[in-house]
Amino acid sequence: MKSIVIGQYLPGQSFLYKIDPRTKLVAMLFLLVSIFLLNTIVLQLISFGVVLTILMLGKLSLRRIMRGLRPIFVLMIFTFVFQIAINTAGVPLIPSGYETMHLSPFSLGAALVWTVLWRIGVKTLRVRFWLFLAWVLGLYAIFHFIDIGPLWGTFDFQVYSEGVRMSVFVILRLMIVLTLSTVLTLTTKPTDLTQAMESFMRPLRVIGLNSDEFALIISISLRYIPTILDEANKIMLAQASRGADFTEGKLKDKIRQVVSLLVPMFIIAFKRSEDLADAMESRNFVPGKPRTRIHELKFGAWDLIALLFVAATFATSLVIAL
Amino acid sequence: MGIRFEHVSYHYVGNAKRPYEAIRDINLDIDAKDEFIALVGHTGSGKSTLAQHMNALVFPAEGTVRLFGATITAKRNKKIKYNDLRRKVGLVFQFPEYQLFEETVEKDVLFGPLNFHVPLEEAKERALRAIRLVGLDETYLKRNPFNLSGGEKKRVSIAGILALDPQILVLDEPTSGLDPLGKIQMMELFESIRRETGKTIIVITHDMDLVYRYATRVLVLEKGSLVFDGSPDRLFRRSKLEDWHLDYPQTIRVLKKVKETFGWNLDVYQPTCEEAFAELKKAVTK
Repeated sequence: MKSIVIGQYLPGQSFLYKIDPRTKLVAMLFLLVSIFLLNTIVLQLISFGVVLTILMLGKLSLRRIMRGLRPIFVLMIFTFVFQIAINTAGVPLIPSGYETMHLSPFSLGAALVWTVLWRIGVKTLRVRFWLFLAWVLGLYAIFHFIDIGPLWGTFDFQVYSEGVRMSVFVILRLMIVLTLSTVLTLTTKPTDLTQAMESFMRPLRVIGLNSDEFALIISISLRYIPTILDEANKIMLAQASRGADFTEGKLKDKIRQVVSLLVPMFIIAFKRSEDLADAMESRNFVPGKPRTRIHELKFGAWDLIALLFVAATFATSLVIAL
Repeated sequence: MGIRFEHVSYHYVGNAKRPYEAIRDINLDIDAKDEFIALVGHTGSGKSTLAQHMNALVFPAEGTVRLFGATITAKRNKKIKYNDLRRKVGLVFQFPEYQLFEETVEKDVLFGPLNFHVPLEEAKERALRAIRLVGLDETYLKRNPFNLSGGEKKRVSIAGILALDPQILVLDEPTSGLDPLGKIQMMELFESIRRETGKTIIVITHDMDLVYRYATRVLVLEKGSLVFDGSPDRLFRRSKLEDWHLDYPQTIRVLKKVKETFGWNLDVYQPTCEEAFAELKKAVTK
């Protein structure tokens, strides 16, 4: 719980930081649409190259981006494995009878033992990803090579061309989309992002939606997420020292313990919001009144370049797609 | 048997490139009997972190903590019942708001004992005793803890830990936010608990007057290191307390000034006002 970081803004100097957040949002939108228009692996590879170039020009470290992608990595591997195993469209890639898998009491037993070992490994070691890979490869080896004992049947291990194509394609697309959005959050402050959203929502005033207030709500909630997490942690420690161990105990005890965590959290949150309201009012904040800003958003030369680039990309992918 | 720290370090992992070192290389021995320990130090010197190690709420990043025979290291050991250790070492947090949650004071004080499976009847008896110990009466048991004043909330939160009947009582700034009289009452309460039950009391405080008056032993933390461990008398006889962001107690300051101004022969090291006054009287009548 301690390691949760909301908003991963990383201060920097490159051109990505000089672009107006509004431009960045629009650019992101159009780049994402262009990527979904391109539907062959080669085109996706090219756009991945383009994204990497942007990263290099923007002096963002690739390792930093990869670190942000790590939680999704497991998902990608699962997608990859299941696409290959389940997708049966297209041509079979392996001649039949070449990769025969054996179903026997021995191979099934070995698979069971292997699975149990994998679960134990996940519990004790911290390298889940590699263990999962080892498990999949191990299962393959077990069914392929253990052919002793009474054979209940055999089946062919088969990989189809469409499965391979789709899995590579999906992973490439995921990588591009995630890298792009990471670039946006790495180089833009959350407050700048909300300000950009606010200015886009301004036309909605016609239907009675006040974008100022909406932006304020978002930035206040973003601001208080770490504070409230920190408080939750303290409350947890305080109740743990009264014997509320949140890791052990029966369900009935657990419910009581969760209540002992939630009630102080709500009370502290309400108290905090009252204090904040007082503090804002004492600095003459009036809801709905127009306010000035310290940092006004301005369009510059970089915005023009960025918009031209995005327009060119979008046009190209449109032409290719149609 | 008590608490023993062996080369204990702990750091908080944050956004910054280097983790923040809260305490480093602490070696410490605390007896479970009859000590009144004051833990002092500058804000952010690691006092609270050290206190949270004392009942295994946080595990040391390096080194070991021995709590009543159990060895606490960085890794969670399934054989150790951490909950039992928290019953032996009661830790009261600084802000009562972090732990009060029931609709009556009695239920809130009962929360701890019931978590440790104390029978309801006995737990109720303990709650009554605890609430009287902290200087409130039984009419408080039926009141809503959220309608109490700050000082009363503080007392209720201390009663919640006292009802666990711990062998060592650790209090994180129990006197902050109390009026001068409340502070004295609170410290008198801890002192009487120590006298009557022989429990060890550990108090985190910034108030040097209270330290000098009540503590039998002082631990000084400075930037996460334990720089002093000894009697308050030895501490206040040192000359360079400012280096540790500490101050001298009022009695010493006043007597020193008197000694300087009038050139009287005074023993300035008097822990209480009464003793300081007696010393002055002696000098005047001489």
